[in-house]
Amino acid sequence: MLDIESIDVYYGKFQALFDLNMRIGEQETVITVGPNGAGKSTLLKAISGLQPAKRGKITFMGQPIEKFPPHKIVELGLVYVPESGRVFPNLTVIENLKIGSYTRRARVHFKPSLEEVFDLFPRLAEREKQIAETLSGGERQMLAVARSLMARPKLILLDEPSMGLAPLIVSQLFKFISAIKKGGYSILMVEQNVVKALKLCDRAYLLELGTVKLEGNREFFGKEEYIRQSYLGV
Amino acid sequence: MTVLILNALVNGILLGGVLALLAFGMNLIFGVVKVIHMAYGQSVMLGMYVIYTLTEIYNVPLISSCLIAVIAMTLLGGLMHLLVVQKLLTANRLNQLLALAGLIIVYENFAQVIWGADLRGIPVFLPVFNIGEVFIKTSNLIAFIGSLVVLGLLYFFLHKTYIGLAIRATAQDVECARLMGINPKKIYLTTMMVGSAMTGVIAAFFTPIYSVHPHFGGSFTMMAFIIVVLGGMGNLMGGFIGAFVIGIVTSLTGALASIEAAEIVALIIFVLVVLIRPQGLMGGKQTR
Repeated sequence: MLDIESIDVYYGKFQALFDLNMRIGEQETVITVGPNGAGKSTLLKAISGLQPAKRGKITFMGQPIEKFPPHKIVELGLVYVPESGRVFPNLTVIENLKIGSYTRRARVHFKPSLEEVFDLFPRLAEREKQIAETLSGGERQMLAVARSLMARPKLILLDEPSMGLAPLIVSQLFKFISAIKKGGYSILMVEQNVVKALKLCDRAYLLELGTVKLEGNREFFGKEEYIRQSYLGV
Repeated sequence: MTVLILNALVNGILLGGVLALLAFGMNLIFGVVKVIHMAYGQSVMLGMYVIYTLTEIYNVPLISSCLIAVIAMTLLGGLMHLLVVQKLLTANRLNQLLALAGLIIVYENFAQVIWGADLRGIPVFLPVFNIGEVFIKTSNLIAFIGSLVVLGLLYFFLHKTYIGLAIRATAQDVECARLMGINPKKIYLTTMMVGSAMTGVIAAFFTPIYSVHPHFGGSFTMMAFIIVVLGGMGNLMGGFIGAFVIGIVTSLTGALASIEAAEIVALIIFVLVVLIRPQGLMGGKQTR
């Protein structure tokens, strides 16, 4: 579904990703872990077109997208959920969801998408008319995830969904993500909470210093000594 | 004395409605595109010349010339965006300001070359009526009601349509808007055209009230800017309230002292706001 072939990404003169390769299959949930500054968020920004790769190829469903602007990439069904519940603060919940279905492809399905999303997040249905700014951190993150579903995505990129949230809310959020996974979406998630994320995923990548250090399926990752010591704390 | 004040108050409110529309366009452009449209009043001036030329020289019915003026100003706004603003979006603030202020000179001298420096007006005779001792000009009332109707339509446009929603989203967070599938380039162009369309609408409302000359726009650019700053830059509701504050204050000063004093008072308010509450009356809250 998504093929990343040896991409290099720069911020000005500073290189953040080095010759990075990654692959995400149909209906697969993949997590990417790694320390701060390893380039996890940069990776998602490169895929979504916000920080385009200088070299290398990114192919989504057979189409090269590395030169596409972000709004074209969204049209194709590749949707990025930015970090820390970044919703439009002065739009209401329903307006945020509506803008999520902005693309022509998603717009015609607005009503059924909204029903699906409200089924999944009844809390948002209750707060339909509320200004997003007044939501709690957890609700905002849920809104950001719900908004991405409104775009009728095929692949969802989640950028540290649990960041800054209380443990109870994090558990709740992971339940939602696993429900989304069952809905048949492909997911690429960057996450600090390695224990919880590992339970959810099919495969995982470890990023260090801007490149892939380790990759493997869930079982392999959970057993790997280096991961256990550095990221699982056992 | 009370009659005088009452009259000034009513006229201030009527003026406030028109100023609200005037400031709205400039405010919307600032809130979304993040540039200050310095030649805003000058665009109103050009719109009035369009109406004058069509009605007086080509004998087009007044209503049709007003509609054509709105379309012409919309297109002019789009053209100005593509030729000037779009190229300066990533430039520093000072360069943007200088380029847009340069447009003032372009527009004013263009008008001077084509129409000369004389006052041009269309003789539209609308009655003055009175409620008790308060006298109201029909032309002012039309401008007031018309402005509120257009503001209502704009509110509907911004809140109930996809493109309006996209405009508000872009004003709040461009990067996030791009992730929704919004192309900011298109949104900036649309906003510029909608904001400029307002100058055409105001030109239509002003035509029965004022005669136009090449330097007609200056004071209205200033008024709009004062209101936008007073309300909080980019804050549409603040601008709406600010317009009535300025309308009433200038009208009262005009009645009690003189028209010249009114502009001074408006500028004093501007200076005080910048000194004491630079974020404006309603603060820096974003476009709602």
